[in-house]
Amino acid sequence: MATSFKFKPLTISILLLFLCNAIASSASGSSSTTMHTNNWAILVCTSRFWFNYRHMANTLSLYRTVKRLGIPDERIILMLADDMACNARNKYPAQVFNNENHRLNLYGDNVEVDYRGYEVTVENFLRILTGRHETAVPRSKRLLSDEGSHILLYMTGHGGDEFLKFQDSEELQSHDLADAVKQMKEKRRFKELLIMVDTCQAATLFSQLQSPGVLAIGSSKKGENSYSHHLDSDVGVSVVDRFTFFTLAFFERLNMYDNASLSSLFTSYNPNTLMSTAYYRTDLYQRRLEEVPVTNFFGSVMETIHTDSPYRAFSNRYYRKSKTEMPSDQSGGGNQRALEDSDVLEELADPKLNAIQVGCPLTHTWNTILGRMEKITQIDNFVNCGVVLMFPIVALSSWFSH
Amino acid sequence: MTEVSAVVKPKPRPIIRIGLFLISHSLFVSIVCCIAGVLALLLLPVLAKNTYISENALMPGSASAMLSTDDASDGHVFVNKIMSISSMSINSGIEIPEMIAKHIIESGGEVNYHKFQPLSDSFHPLQFFVGPDAGMVQDNYSSTSYGVNTVGIVRAPRGDGKEAIIIVTPYNSVKPTTSEALSLGVAYSVFTLLSRVSWLAKDIIWLAADSRHGEHAAVAAWLRDYYTLSSGDLEHEVTSVKRDGVSNGFRRAGTMAAALVIKVADSSTGFEKDGLKIYAEASNGQMPNLDLINIVNYLAVHGQGLQVRVEKIWSLLDSWWLYSLGELQELIGKVAKSLNPGWKFGIPASDYVEGCTTLASSLYNQALGIPTGPHGAFRDYQVDAITLEFSPRFSSSQRVLFLLHVGRLVEGVIRSVNNLLEKFHQSFFLYLMTSPSRFVSVGTYMIAFALLIAPLPLVAAALFSDASKSKSPGESIPTSPAWNWLYTAKTVLIVHLWGAIVTIIPYFLRQFPDSSPLISLLTWIASSAVLLFFTRAASSSLPFSCASQLQTSEWTLLKAVTVAAAFIGLCLMSVINYATAEIGALLLVPMCLMAVPLRIDATAKTAKTVARGACNVLLVFVGFPPAAFLLSKGALSSFDGVRLDDFWNWIESLREWNSATYIYICMVHLPCWVLCIHILLHRR
Repeated sequence: MATSFKFKPLTISILLLFLCNAIASSASGSSSTTMHTNNWAILVCTSRFWFNYRHMANTLSLYRTVKRLGIPDERIILMLADDMACNARNKYPAQVFNNENHRLNLYGDNVEVDYRGYEVTVENFLRILTGRHETAVPRSKRLLSDEGSHILLYMTGHGGDEFLKFQDSEELQSHDLADAVKQMKEKRRFKELLIMVDTCQAATLFSQLQSPGVLAIGSSKKGENSYSHHLDSDVGVSVVDRFTFFTLAFFERLNMYDNASLSSLFTSYNPNTLMSTAYYRTDLYQRRLEEVPVTNFFGSVMETIHTDSPYRAFSNRYYRKSKTEMPSDQSGGGNQRALEDSDVLEELADPKLNAIQVGCPLTHTWNTILGRMEKITQIDNFVNCGVVLMFPIVALSSWFSH
Repeated sequence: MTEVSAVVKPKPRPIIRIGLFLISHSLFVSIVCCIAGVLALLLLPVLAKNTYISENALMPGSASAMLSTDDASDGHVFVNKIMSISSMSINSGIEIPEMIAKHIIESGGEVNYHKFQPLSDSFHPLQFFVGPDAGMVQDNYSSTSYGVNTVGIVRAPRGDGKEAIIIVTPYNSVKPTTSEALSLGVAYSVFTLLSRVSWLAKDIIWLAADSRHGEHAAVAAWLRDYYTLSSGDLEHEVTSVKRDGVSNGFRRAGTMAAALVIKVADSSTGFEKDGLKIYAEASNGQMPNLDLINIVNYLAVHGQGLQVRVEKIWSLLDSWWLYSLGELQELIGKVAKSLNPGWKFGIPASDYVEGCTTLASSLYNQALGIPTGPHGAFRDYQVDAITLEFSPRFSSSQRVLFLLHVGRLVEGVIRSVNNLLEKFHQSFFLYLMTSPSRFVSVGTYMIAFALLIAPLPLVAAALFSDASKSKSPGESIPTSPAWNWLYTAKTVLIVHLWGAIVTIIPYFLRQFPDSSPLISLLTWIASSAVLLFFTRAASSSLPFSCASQLQTSEWTLLKAVTVAAAFIGLCLMSVINYATAEIGALLLVPMCLMAVPLRIDATAKTAKTVARGACNVLLVFVGFPPAAFLLSKGALSSFDGVRLDDFWNWIESLREWNSATYIYICMVHLPCWVLCIHILLHRR
């Protein structure tokens, strides 16, 4: 039958796709080629007391931003060392602001604090990173990342040369941090890690890091102080730090579909307005910053390709169903990312459903073929037409053979 | 050869060699040290550092003031009401407390009256160490002349109720003056504001203290009852529901974080701006934490534009010698700067004079050991407190504006203290002020004192070694110098015991209340002299006395022990009250070091010895406490008004305030002075 002949290239292509996937998964032993599967954020405010209001506001602002950009609450570990919202000195009970215009209450609905008050200790912090919890610790307080995770680690507080003060009583040293990151790497708890620190002399905290895949950015170099941005004379405290303020200003312009790269974030810091020099360490990071979208860390948006084609091989009904679920702008190919909300993300987070385009030429060809195939409107119509056309062709050929 | 001798006679350790060297050159060393000590004292205004807010939590001025003009005009209405009550002819002294209580209840606070009687003064010289005795609470309101403090409390809406900030406004409940009414108005407008705000973490107590029996007595009585559970306390708790919500039970509100005493001066400043004068000295030279003064100064200068001052000795301000000293140090500073631009010392001469006068006042007030205001009562309970005395420049039409400025300052200070997480502890407790924004810390000012007293042990050691070396050849009795030392020590001890007796004589003299100050003073001096004579006689008649066998070296031994005793006394006093020790050392050290029997000087008859004798006589004259007091008083004001009974009054006030300075004068200074006279009059 001519119809069966017609579909032969299609089946070959499907076979090729399976082959390609198999190659990709067999290469996933080294994490640099692992697929980016999910995003996690650890947001830490290390200092307590009313006059450190701004550190809590910093952290809550970042919390709001990453949530807005698509990291769900169960993938955010939020550590707040004190409770400013309920402090008796707070003029606005149960509210926290990061700007003196008071437009945005950071402590509104849906804030899940995982570690609060005196739970925020160096020990707990290191336990979260390394995943060595006591058995009683619930899953919601654990970092359940895997070897395909992108993790954002944001810390703010009072720091100094190679240390960050926790709770006015203990310190996290740069050695501790580097050691924990190394353990994480060995345990394949992350694919890429972005450490962002807003303290005085933040750059010194990164000096001991060795693990590959770690990108670090700090608000100030060694010997520099990080300053607060402005004072809210109504509340009577400084409400946000400069580095965090300009980071937030950068992200407020973005939504989760934007393609802004990490390098555009890093170059957005102006040492004059920051009153310190933002420092970033890239020598452990493989990808070029220009090519990495900020949403790779601050959101939960991944490059996706739709492997819905296997369903089509089995049944048209399946195919149709999966097609209706696809976002409308699916046909472009290449750099498409599609994500509506965190529910969709849940589906996509399954590694079998999406895969990073790792540059396999076969996948690429297949994509273009698929794209073209989809331009042909309806398979059924196509088949019917073929059948109708077959009769004149058969008649014609038999007439010629006579 | 050298090697051999080194082996035979090993050198002593370097520290010992240095000590021996210093002792052998003790004359030179003591002259240098004394001069350096005095110079260091005079250099303190130059070495003063700018004050800074040490505690992070305070954040003064970071919140904008909420006190509005409405609050200030409410305060003004309140002031007018008080003045109208005050002008009424019949006044039993209860109308104003009732009026205040009514207003406090209206603004949502809690009120109670605190009735008290002034305590009869009693001498507790060691109160400094043990704290005020809480045990003696008398409940006998027999006399009708008790005072009534009105206490209003605002509870912090979300606070834990463990801490409180106190505002104190002393006023005379029978006849309040306009300035007292104004201070009440300030407190009222702040209090009503605070009863509305949502940011309080500490309770606010407003103590309208009845100053009929003295400001300090009223505050001290309230504090005493605050910290003791009196027997009537529990009964009142049960039956405290009284008309219009005023409770007779004693209301409390946690530990006190800080206290502000608000006063308004009667006289106006004569300056462009409203003035603020800060008083901080509490009993025995204790100071509140420097941070408290800093935030008041910061908010007053940067927030409300007040002219802040601390007390200074005005008569020193136009003394030529101080000014020329200032110019000298300015010149040296300039020369040093021209040599090396990095050397920056030296301040303008006028600043130096200002600093010196303020420093002198600070030193004097601390040395006196008498609190300079009602805040002193708080310091006895380790509560940081200061008195703010505002001097308005206004005509009465601008009272609302004045209330607004002062109210905002008080609000700012309270908000700042409200931010505090712990007691004040970051900044200094031991310091001297040279201006409202400059201070000398303990590490700096101790240098002057240390230099001054450093020669004392050296000279004592030198004299002792001299005495042990120079034995007269015809000595028959084999007494070692160590024994001689003990005999002289006995003399010194007896004189010090005499000093202790002298200390308590005024207590007996108090039993005759009708005697005039002059007579009391003369009785005191006379009885002391008689006692001294008797103790001398008694001690020389003791069987083990060997006064007859005393050697020619006796006076050097006596001097050595005297000097050592003075050293110990000064060191002890410097721990208790630095300022007293410093001023005492200025008088005592030269006197003790110079003392040489006049007979030696008289026999030698060279220019040097005559000068030394004259110096000795002069120093001993100046060293006599009444003479020193009257001379300094005359030098600072004028000699016309100086009378002998001023000294008695002064001593009496020291005694009544339980000042350690009184003990120092009687038990360290006076015995040393007597011993110096003893040395001077020593027969060869």
